[in-house]
Amino acid sequence: MGGLAATLDFDAELMLRVKDGDGASFAILLEKHRLPVIHFLYRMVQNQAVAEELAQEVFLRVYRSRGSYEPTAKFTTWLFRIATHLALNSLRDGKYQRLEEHLDDDSAEAPARQLSDQRPSVEQRMLHQARLEEIRRAVATLPEKQRAAVLMHKYEEMEYSQIAKVLNCSESAIKSLLFRAYETLRARLAHMA
Amino acid sequence: MNCPMEAGGSPDLLLDYAAGKLNADARAQMDRHLAICRACSEFAGAQQNVWQALEDWEPAEVSMDFDRRLYARIEQDVSWWKRLMRPLNPVFRHSIPVAAAAGVLIMAGLLLYRPAAIAPAPKSAQVESLQPDQLQSALEDMEMLHQFNQLVPDASAPKM
Repeated sequence: MGGLAATLDFDAELMLRVKDGDGASFAILLEKHRLPVIHFLYRMVQNQAVAEELAQEVFLRVYRSRGSYEPTAKFTTWLFRIATHLALNSLRDGKYQRLEEHLDDDSAEAPARQLSDQRPSVEQRMLHQARLEEIRRAVATLPEKQRAAVLMHKYEEMEYSQIAKVLNCSESAIKSLLFRAYETLRARLAHMA
Repeated sequence: MNCPMEAGGSPDLLLDYAAGKLNADARAQMDRHLAICRACSEFAGAQQNVWQALEDWEPAEVSMDFDRRLYARIEQDVSWWKRLMRPLNPVFRHSIPVAAAAGVLIMAGLLLYRPAAIAPAPKSAQVESLQPDQLQSALEDMEMLHQFNQLVPDASAPKM
């Protein structure tokens, strides 16, 4: 917990310096949180170009809000609240192409993962891509809030309390939400065992 | 420990177990429970499979120019206000010092000026009010004098 407190203080302190006009502190925050935010958004909307566009908006809003920033919550809670809000809006208003349309199109965007020390065969690569495709489809079928909660829990390793603050729910509601989400994923991905 | 799957239990403990988030003591307790509880054991196994599957999902590479685009947008955002205010800058640059100096002078004047009590006008300067009959009488006197002047020959006039 000491580490968390230190992180809270450091990020919030940097943001307070940004508030005072220190551009270098903004660059540090961007460097630190750029990838987690883009990856979270990518897994939410499942389109790299859209994810980057949304991430730009996230950091632009952070910069614009510097004047009124008050460290009332953990910096990452505030950051992911902005990111989640933008992701949910983009999914709901249909501003971008529908998620399903991209599931096949941008599969080539993802880097091919090495399955072993040797170069994977064509067959192995195809199997790996098919497996990834199933995972992405399984996540895509989750309701938006469940999806956001799973991604924050799994990839950002957030505590239940922090996910609850980001999604504006109670901690018990988040536990219930996650339990249902993982139940769906267990059923959909059971054959991968 | 109580079975996490039973009523009143904490199923999130099984999620944390599968995610490797339990501390050593809690993990050891859970291991002992899983050894005797088939439902929890199956649940934990399935959850670990999901966790591992999600592990394989790596995001794509981020564009090299992400930061450059962001800073360009920030610059544009900042410049918006500057662009809006630019035509007014020369006006402000020259008029603000003048206005400030004028303001200081006005304030100083207000602070230093102590107007004396206004003295009442001397009685002689006051216009006395006249009654209508007095006015009428004065006009008649003036008319009479005028007629009188016409009757009296002017001594300075050239003689014929």
